[in-house]
Amino acid sequence: MTDITSAETAVSITVDGKKVTAKPGELLIDACERNGTYIPRFCHHSRMQPVGMCRMCLVEIDTGRGPALQPSCMIECSNEMVVDTQSKKTIKAQEGVLEFLLINHPLDCPICDKGGECPLQDQTMAFGPGESRFIEEKRTYRKPIPVNENVFLDRERCVLCDRCTRFADQVAGDSLIHFIDRGNKTQVNTYPDQPFSSYFSGNTVQICPVGALTAAPFRFKARPWDLTEVESTSTFDSVGNRISVQESRDRVLRFTGVDSDSVNWGWLTDKERFIFEAYSNENRLSGPLTTNEVAEGSQKHAVATSWSEAYEKFVKAINETTPERIAVIGGSRLTNEAQYIWSKIAKGIIGTDNVDAQLDDGFSPEVLLSLNPSTIDKTCKPGGVIILLGADPKEELGALYLRLRHAILQDQCKLIELTPTKTGLSQLATHSIRVPPGKTLEAVKALSGEPSELEDDILKELTKVQKIIKNNDSISVLLGRTSLAETSSIVEEGAIKLQEYLPKASFLPLLRRGNINGAIDMGLSPGLLPGRCDLEEGSDKLQNYWPTCPTHKGFKTKEMFEAATDGQIDVLILLAADPIMDFPDSQLVQEALDRIETVIAVDIFATDSVLQADIVLAAATATEIEGSFTNLEGRISPIRKSVTPPGTARPDWMIALDLVQYLVPNLGPSTFKELCEEISLVSGIHKDFDFSKVEQIDKEGVVLNRGKNKTQTSLIKIPKQKANSFRLVVTRSMYDKGVLSAHSSALKGLAPGSRIKANPKDMEKLGITSDSTVRLIGLKGEIQTRLTPDPETTRGTIHALWNQDGPDIRKLIDSSLPVNDLKIEKI
Amino acid sequence: MSYLKGFLVTFRQIFQKRVTTPYPSQKRAKPERLHGRHVLGRYEDGMEKCIGCELCAGVCPANCIYVRGADNPIENPVSPGERYGFVYEINYLRCIHCDLCVEACPTGAITESKMFEFSFTNRNDAIYTREELLVDSESGKPKQLPWEDWREGEDLNTSGWLRATSPNGDASYEGQIAWSGDLGYGIRKAEIGQSDTETLEEEQ
Amino acid sequence: MVESSLQTGYVKHAPGFVENEGPKLITSRFKHADSFTLDKYLSTGGYEGLKSSLNRSPGQVHDEVREASLLGRGGAGFPAGIKWGFPPEGVWPRYLVVNGDESEIGTYKDRLLMERDPHQLIEGVLIACYALGLSQAFLYVRGEMALAQERIALALDEAYEAGYIGKNILDTKFSVDVVMHWGAGAYIVGEETALIESLEGKRGMPRLKPPYFPAAIGLYGKPTIVNNVETLSNLPWILNNGASAYKGFGSESSPGTRMFAISGHVKRPGVYEVEHGVTTFRELFYGDNFCRGIRDDNELKMFIPGGGSAPWFFQEQLDLPLEASAVGAAGSMLGSGAMVVMDETTDAVKACLSVVRFFARESCGKCSPCREGTTWEEKILQRILDGDGRPSDIDLLLDIGDNISPGPYPAAAFSDEGLDAVPFPPSQTTICPLGPSSVAPIVSAIRRFRNEFDSLITRRDPIPLSLEVEKVVT
Repeated sequence: MTDITSAETAVSITVDGKKVTAKPGELLIDACERNGTYIPRFCHHSRMQPVGMCRMCLVEIDTGRGPALQPSCMIECSNEMVVDTQSKKTIKAQEGVLEFLLINHPLDCPICDKGGECPLQDQTMAFGPGESRFIEEKRTYRKPIPVNENVFLDRERCVLCDRCTRFADQVAGDSLIHFIDRGNKTQVNTYPDQPFSSYFSGNTVQICPVGALTAAPFRFKARPWDLTEVESTSTFDSVGNRISVQESRDRVLRFTGVDSDSVNWGWLTDKERFIFEAYSNENRLSGPLTTNEVAEGSQKHAVATSWSEAYEKFVKAINETTPERIAVIGGSRLTNEAQYIWSKIAKGIIGTDNVDAQLDDGFSPEVLLSLNPSTIDKTCKPGGVIILLGADPKEELGALYLRLRHAILQDQCKLIELTPTKTGLSQLATHSIRVPPGKTLEAVKALSGEPSELEDDILKELTKVQKIIKNNDSISVLLGRTSLAETSSIVEEGAIKLQEYLPKASFLPLLRRGNINGAIDMGLSPGLLPGRCDLEEGSDKLQNYWPTCPTHKGFKTKEMFEAATDGQIDVLILLAADPIMDFPDSQLVQEALDRIETVIAVDIFATDSVLQADIVLAAATATEIEGSFTNLEGRISPIRKSVTPPGTARPDWMIALDLVQYLVPNLGPSTFKELCEEISLVSGIHKDFDFSKVEQIDKEGVVLNRGKNKTQTSLIKIPKQKANSFRLVVTRSMYDKGVLSAHSSALKGLAPGSRIKANPKDMEKLGITSDSTVRLIGLKGEIQTRLTPDPETTRGTIHALWNQDGPDIRKLIDSSLPVNDLKIEKI
Repeated sequence: MSYLKGFLVTFRQIFQKRVTTPYPSQKRAKPERLHGRHVLGRYEDGMEKCIGCELCAGVCPANCIYVRGADNPIENPVSPGERYGFVYEINYLRCIHCDLCVEACPTGAITESKMFEFSFTNRNDAIYTREELLVDSESGKPKQLPWEDWREGEDLNTSGWLRATSPNGDASYEGQIAWSGDLGYGIRKAEIGQSDTETLEEEQ
Repeated sequence: MVESSLQTGYVKHAPGFVENEGPKLITSRFKHADSFTLDKYLSTGGYEGLKSSLNRSPGQVHDEVREASLLGRGGAGFPAGIKWGFPPEGVWPRYLVVNGDESEIGTYKDRLLMERDPHQLIEGVLIACYALGLSQAFLYVRGEMALAQERIALALDEAYEAGYIGKNILDTKFSVDVVMHWGAGAYIVGEETALIESLEGKRGMPRLKPPYFPAAIGLYGKPTIVNNVETLSNLPWILNNGASAYKGFGSESSPGTRMFAISGHVKRPGVYEVEHGVTTFRELFYGDNFCRGIRDDNELKMFIPGGGSAPWFFQEQLDLPLEASAVGAAGSMLGSGAMVVMDETTDAVKACLSVVRFFARESCGKCSPCREGTTWEEKILQRILDGDGRPSDIDLLLDIGDNISPGPYPAAAFSDEGLDAVPFPPSQTTICPLGPSSVAPIVSAIRRFRNEFDSLITRRDPIPLSLEVEKVVT
C-alpha cells in the first residue's frame, strides 16, 4: 500500500491548502488519510471496491470547474485537484449524512457489542451534528436474527454501508447475503432458508462499521474498553495470519485480523477467528500427568504428578534405551524457539535422528528444499500464472484462498488447476483439469511436451495450458497434498519435473500444519539440522553447542511406526502430535503405540494419543507464550503472550529448557535470551535474525532468505488401476473433528460429516443408488457406507473427506502403498 | 467563686438543646441525597433494570465495580432487551461514593441508599454481589444484609435518579419525574429547581 | 401465446391519446385500431426509414440524426446524435439499450408508443444500430406494462420472421439481435445506470458516475448507448423525410414534435403530440386544440411541468414556451413531458405529500440521504397533515432538503415575495437525482404556500421551561 511514489507519475493535489502528492489512480480518501487528513467514511474499505453508498465522505473538490461536493471514496486523484475537507458546505453535508444515518439507528449503544469501538459512535462525536431533530418513531425490526451459526444480524442498527455484502460477494465469493426490499425498508438479509454459510463470515463482523453484525463467541462477553490487545500471529495454519488477540481478565475473548499487506490483508477464516474458544476450554491439560504404576497390567490410568517427577521419569525413560530406539514426532504447534530446543534435545543431546514434525501428510523436506522459494505476493503478482498441483486452498488455507481469489479476479492472474478433485477455485480457473489420482507427474510431463499416458481430452487441454505458460514469465506453483490416501511422492515428482521444465518458476508448498515451516527450519525432520542443512554440513557449526549429533539419517514418521511395530522403538515423544487422529493409517499407529514402551506427550488437550501416553507434559498455547512463527513463505512474525496458561502448564520452550538441565546439567541455554542467541549462532538462515527482539517486528514480518539444495528422487512406480477398482481420494475440509474445533463451541457443529462421493455414472454401472449400502474394501480393511452421487467426482475414483463423523475412512488406507484402490461390493 | 466562672460555658450549654445523638443507638435523619451503599433497581414488573453495559464500571474512578453481561434467556428474561447484568459486584473497600456510576447508568438501574455504615469481618464480605444489591422484587426496598444496620426510613428514597443532568440534557424533561416508572418505591417530590408534575398538570 | 392475448388484449383506441390538429410525426398511426401489426405498419410507410438508411453508409445516417438535432426525450434533453459519438474508439462490443421503464409520475407517452406502434420503435432501434455499427440491442420495458410487453414481443416475432431483425437484414450484411427484457417494477430503473444494473441481473441501483458513464462503461462493462423510446421512435420519420424537414417543425433549438402527457384538473387530459418549443403552457392547458381549460372553469393553482421531479410552476409561468432551456431558466424542467395540472381546490400540502411519498417508496436504498431523507420528509408532512406539526417543521423540511440537495433549490419566481427564479438543475449529495427530486415539491410548496403549512401546524404552546414560566405566572 505504501510503495514509493516515483516522481514522474505522482500527482500533486491540494488538501485544505496543503500541497501533497498522491499516487496516480489512488482514491482521494486514501490519499488524504495517508497525508494525515481523515475523511469520515462508512462504506469505504481499502480492501474492497468503492461503492459510494453512505455519502459520508463528501468533500468539496475542485478539478478546475469550481468546487463541488463529491464522494472522496469514488474520486481518483488527478493533478492540481483542490480539496477542502473543512469548508462549510463539506461540514454541513457530513453532518447531514450523519443525522440521516442516526435517525433510524436505535442508539442502544449500552447493550451493543460495538459500543466503545464503533465507527458510527466515533464519527458522530467527531463529525456529527450533536442534536437530533427526529421525533417520529424509529424503524424497528426483529432484534438479532442469526445469519449463520456464529453471526447475528441486527437490522435496526444497520446503516446499509454494503461492506458485509460486498465482502461476501467480492472477497469471499459467497454472495449469500444481499439487500432486500427498498427505500427506507432496505435491509441486509440472507436468502430465504439459506444461511450465510461462508468460511469467512466472521470478517463481516470485523468490518461492520456499526454493531449490526455480532459474533456469537464474543456476544456480550465484554465491552471493548475492557479488552487488552496484543498483536500476534495465528498459529492455526501455516499462512501465519496476523491477528490481534484481545483479552479481558486473563481470558482470551476475541481474535481479530490485522491488515498485513503481504499476508492476510486483515481477513481470517472463521476457524482461525473462533478457535480461541478452545484455548480457554476447561478440559485443557493444566499440569503434568503420569500413569499410575500401581495399576500395572490393568488399564493405564493417568494421575497428576509434579513437574520434577515428570522430568525425572522422562530422563529415566531416555536413559534406559539407546538413541536410535527413541523417536520424536510432531512439533508444528511449537514456536520457532521451542522447536530449536526440542531439536537440540532430540538430535544434540539424545542423539537420535528419528525426528519428524510431519505426520506423513506433507512433503519430504529434501524436495521442499530443492524448489525455488516463493512468497504469497510473488504468487499473486498481477498478470502471472498460478499452477495448482494439489490441495484445495479454500479448505486448507483460507486466507491464502482469499489472496488467490483476488489475484485471479482483480489482478488478471491465470489459474491452472491440475488436481484430481474440484477445488474452491475451480470456477475461477482458466483451465481446471481433473488429473486422475496418481498421475500428476504424467500431467507435468505432457505439459513439458514429453509423451505421457493421459487421456486425449486432458492432453488437449494441456496443450492450451502450454501456450499460456510459454507467454508468461511470472509462473508460480502451489503444491499441496492432492489426497491423503496416496504417497506424497506423486506431487513431489511432478513439482521436481516442473522445476526442470520451468527453471524460473517459483514454488509455494502448501504445508498446512501451523508452524511446520519453522519446524523444518529448526531441524525437526529426519536428516536435517537447524538452518536447513544436512547432517554433514551442519555438524561443524553445532559442535560447540551440541554434545552429540546424529551421523546417519533417521526415520520418517511412517518409517518410525513401521519400525515400532517391529519392536525397534522404545520411547516415542509426541510434540503436540496426535497420530491416532492425524496419521492416515490409523491401524499402523495403534499397532505401533501398543508396542512402544514409553510414550511421552507434550500437549494442551488429552487427545486420543495423549490418553495412551505414560508421561504427559501440559503445555501452554499460542496466546500464552512469547515467541516467533515461520509461515509457508519463510516469513517470521511474533507470537505474543496475552494470558497465563491454566494451572501449572508451561510454554514448550520452558519445558524443553528444563529437560536440557535434567539431561545434561550445566549445558546451555538456560534462559530464553540465551536460547535466542544460540539459534542465531548455529543456524545459517537465522544468523541475521535476533529472536529476542521479535516483538519489534512490524505486521509484515521478516522473510528469511532460504537457499535451495539439489536433490535426487527415485521415481515411484504407481500401479495401474485395475478394472472395476476405484481409486480413493481423501481431501480435507475446513471443518473436521480436529481437537481444537471440538473444544470450540462456535466450531464444533460445523463439520459437514462424512460424505463419500462417487460419480453417478460409476454408480449406475454398479447398480448402486444413494440409498443402497455398500461395502468399500481396501487392502487393510473395509467399511460399510452409502455413496453420494456427485457428477464432479472423477470417474473411477471415490472421494471422501478426512476426519469426519461417520465411517472411518482411514481403515481403507494402507500407507505402505503409493495409492489405495478399493473394491465396491453391494450388500 | 471565680472558679465557677470557669463552668459558665458548661452550665449555659446544659440547658441548650442537644446537638449530638447517641449513635449508634439512635440515628439522625439523613439528607435526601446522601450517597450510601448502592441498590440495583427493578421495574414495576420485577424485571431488573441493569443491562450489564458496564458503563458504571467504565466510569468508576476507584475501579470498584465489576460487571459482566450475558444473553438474556428468551424463556425467562431477567431484564427487558437482549442483554442483562450477569455478574454485578461492588467492592466497598474501594468505593468512594462519588455517584458517577449513577450518572453513567443509561437505565437508571443503579442508585444509592442512605446506608453508609459498613463493617465487615472479612474482605470478601466487602464485595457486594448482584443478589445482595438488587432490591426486593415485591416491595422494591433494599435487601437488608445480616451485617447491615437499617433503621426506620433509611430504606426510603433509594430509587430514582440522582442525576445532576436530565436525560439527554433536554430541558423539556423538566417536571417529568423520571423515577416514577420503576418498582414504585421511593418516589419523591420534585426538588429545588424542578417543577412538579402535579403542578404542571394543574396549569394545563 | 402472443396470438391469443392479441385477441383478448385488442384495444380499439389508445387510452389516453387525444386526436387533435397539428403535425403527427410519431403518432400518425395511433388512429388505426390495428396500428401495432406489421401489416398495418408496412401499409403506412413502415420500415421505409430502415431501407433508406441501409442505402446509405452508417456515417451518413449518424450525420442525418446529428443534423436533425434530435433531443433525448427521457428527461435530460441531450442531443441523441452527439450522445452516439461518445463511446471510446476501438472498444467493442457495444450495446444499445432502449429505456422503456417509464415510471415518472404523470408520464405515459412511451407506453402508448410501445403499445400502439411497436414497429416504429423497432425500426428506430434498427436505424440506431445501423448508424452505430451495433449488433445487439436490448429493449427494457417497465414491469407493469403488460400490454406493451405483449405487443413488443409480437412485433419482434413478426419482424424477425419478416427479416427486419436477425441475420442479414433485407439481404444486406447488417445483422442485429433485439432482446426484450422486462423490469421488476422499480422507478429507479428509469435511471440509465440502474437500468443497466437491472439488465445485468443485479439489484437496480444507480452506479456512480464517473467512472460509469454508460457510453464509456455500461452494460457488461462495455460502451452502451441508452436511448428513450420516444427518441428512437423519431428516427424512422427523420430518415424518411430528412433532417431539414424535421427541423421545419418546432423551434430552432428544439426541433420536431414532442409528446406531452397532461393529467389532472383539465377538461381534456391525455397525451398530445405538440410542436416542440413553439407552443406555450397556456395554449396547451386552455387551447381548444388541446386541453380546453381547467375543470369547472376553476382557477389554476399550480402545475408540474415535467414529471414529479420537476419543481412546480404557477400562473405566472403559463406563457413560457415548451422548450427545455426556457423552462430550465425559469426554475423547473420539461423532463419527461408529463404535466400535472392542479386547480384552486387542491391542498398544496397533500399534493406535496403525495409526490414525496412516491419518491420515498421508490428510493432504491443506496444513498443514505435519499433513503433516510425522503422517508423523513414524508413522515413530517404526514404529521403536519395529521395536525401534529411543530412550527420548526417547515425549517426542518427545508433543511432536510438542503442536506439532500445543498444550496438554493430550483424554483419558480414569486414576485409577490420578491423571490427570483432559481434555475434548474439542483445539486445533489446522492448518486442519482431521485433524492433531490423529492425536495422539488417541498421547496415549491413551502415557497409559495407557506400559509397553508402554517395554518395546519397547531399552535400548541411550547412545553414550558420551568423557571421562566413560573416567573411569568407569578
